[in-house]
Amino acid sequence: MSFEMWAEKYRPKRLSDMIDQKTIVERLKSFAKSRNVPHCIFAGPPGTGKTTAALCLARDLYGESYREHLMELNASDERGINVVRETVKTFARSRSIGEIPFKILILDEADNMTSDAQQALRRTMERYTETCRFIMCANYSGKIIEPIQSRCAPFRFSFLPRAEHDAYIKQLAERENVKLLPDGVESIFEVCGGDLRRAINTLQAAASMNKPVDSLLVYSVTGKASPADVQRMLNTAINGDFLGARKQLRDMIQKYGVAGVDIIRQIHKEIFKAEIPEPWKMKLATVTGEIDFRLIEGSDEEVQLSALLARIAEAGNEMKKEN
Amino acid sequence: MYTAWTVKHKPKSTCEIVGNILAIKALREWLRSWEKGIPKKRATFLHGPAGVGKTVTVEALAHELQMELVEKNASDYRTEDAINRFAGLASQYGSLFGGKRIILLDELDGLMGNADKGGVKAIINIVKNARCPLVLIANNAYNPRFRTLRSYCLLIEFKKPAAGMILKTLERISTREEIQPEETVLKFIAQRAEGDVRSAVNDFQALAQGKKRLTYNDVSWLAHRDRQDSIFNVVKLIIYGRTSLGAKKAVNMADVDLDMLFEWIYENAPSHLTDPHDLAEAMNALSMADVYRGRIRASQDWSLLRYVIDYMTAGVAMARQNSKVSGWIPFKFPSRIMALSRSKTQRATRKKIGLKIRRRFHISAKRASNEVLPYLRIIFKGNVQMAAGIAKWLDLDREMIEYIAESKAKAGKINTLLS
Repeated sequence: MSFEMWAEKYRPKRLSDMIDQKTIVERLKSFAKSRNVPHCIFAGPPGTGKTTAALCLARDLYGESYREHLMELNASDERGINVVRETVKTFARSRSIGEIPFKILILDEADNMTSDAQQALRRTMERYTETCRFIMCANYSGKIIEPIQSRCAPFRFSFLPRAEHDAYIKQLAERENVKLLPDGVESIFEVCGGDLRRAINTLQAAASMNKPVDSLLVYSVTGKASPADVQRMLNTAINGDFLGARKQLRDMIQKYGVAGVDIIRQIHKEIFKAEIPEPWKMKLATVTGEIDFRLIEGSDEEVQLSALLARIAEAGNEMKKEN
Repeated sequence: MYTAWTVKHKPKSTCEIVGNILAIKALREWLRSWEKGIPKKRATFLHGPAGVGKTVTVEALAHELQMELVEKNASDYRTEDAINRFAGLASQYGSLFGGKRIILLDELDGLMGNADKGGVKAIINIVKNARCPLVLIANNAYNPRFRTLRSYCLLIEFKKPAAGMILKTLERISTREEIQPEETVLKFIAQRAEGDVRSAVNDFQALAQGKKRLTYNDVSWLAHRDRQDSIFNVVKLIIYGRTSLGAKKAVNMADVDLDMLFEWIYENAPSHLTDPHDLAEAMNALSMADVYRGRIRASQDWSLLRYVIDYMTAGVAMARQNSKVSGWIPFKFPSRIMALSRSKTQRATRKKIGLKIRRRFHISAKRASNEVLPYLRIIFKGNVQMAAGIAKWLDLDREMIEYIAESKAKAGKINTLLS
């Protein structure tokens, strides 16, 4: 068992190493072959290989010294307009030395960029096309402004299909000498839903226990990985204690830094498992969906999720009346 | 015809006055002691906060003891000359018709500045020569200007009556005015008055005049009589707002910024909206306000701010449909902000770790601390060797390791492996 992060260790190096997204990979390979790359948007859910594909493309283009021709920026951490004005521009306008006349700028989580910054980016993309090509990675391409979208070749990444996911995880376990039982693979997929980064992290955390990885271990790891005791919070809300539920929510977010999207995903799951009258499950799911959408759009996770908890508390009260 | 209820329903006898039983008793005994000749202290000095019944007590006692009351207050000039002219009255034994007389000098607090020059000195002279009871009233008897005067007087303190006492007064008035208020209404007014009976009666009149019934919704918006015209007041105007416009306007009164006001509403709305449906509606309004804040952040289009305000004020105010609040719930400082400042160092460490992970992991620091850190935590707790390997790979320092492992002992072991 190696003592580094497996998700990094096994990140594909070349486009030919990539196990999925076949059509995308083929197109990218042709870019590398013709030594020309358009501006691109890689859109798709997390853990589907967007950043990896961009890095692989760079390596295929420039060889092992690809770092000299590449800049990686993460829009979540540097999302303001100043980054575009200064960092991006400086990088984009300087000429590349080497056979390939352009450099590559990977803008990760680009959908988190302010629209101001995106507007500024649009001009930079146009002006320095000759010296720099942009690859924008985003979960939601819809949050990238139209003018940028129209300048980019779109690529849609999707979750790994079940069979390929399982094969990959099994192979990885073998290489790391981890005893992975069949129900273990199954539950990894169930928990991570095809998000490969998550799946690998889950496998590694489970393997670190030095026990055969079975379904039980996977669930206990993912349970611990989310200190969010969503079930308890949900019950608190259903019993009408909104303030208590809000306090639990605050702890999850502030103390443990659990992401709002993770909490709401679990709430959604728990709703259907909860012991509440059947017709209520879909009603609650509807509200959850609405809040999930606002979470993507809005700004404050606690405010959004507590609005959901208030609705659940209201529903709990209605259920009591029905009985 | 409009008469102030404070006048119309002024207590006729001391038994209608609420609270301050001992003070009233002391004053009565002192007044009656004049029947046996001039007592040692020729004046009493009643002091205490506004609206607790000092003047009313003197008036009621005068009525009960059938004495003539001669009253001078702030509206009269009180220069030395003016007071000396008035002093003649005090030096006589009784009224023209042979009755007994009380002389009342009210609102002595106003006795200051040039207009009242020498006033206190003149009053001391009157007290020394008084041949009938002299009653002085001020809010603060311990003002240094009254030091000498105090030594000539019997001091009687009036205190704020409890809310329950004020409630009795309000009930008496509502019976006489034939108004049927909900029980919570009177409680609410009584509590809000903070011991000031006069202001409670004024509030009650302002709210109830011309009505036969009074519900909680009619009164809940009532402002806090300029005592604490601050964030509390603003939050109250919003949470208990009856009209959309009223709730929206409250924003202009706030001396905190909009985000802080949002926190205040977010903190306090739940305890003031007891009905689950109302609460859900209010929280939904806040959620929508937040969505618009996000849209502003994304688009930098600040004209959208009006919708943030709409939702967080009118949206919250209009959520109130069925909620009833019994009694007085205090407004609290936003606990979320306190919690945030308490977990500050922890969050700083988490952020630093996030940055370390980002360098190696090609994901944002925020994502790193959300998605990768939880797994690191499991590994660091369960497998020291692997933890050491990863710590080295990520270049984590001691503090970070301790944060991830959540244990000094584990962190120590990992560190030994590292060195």
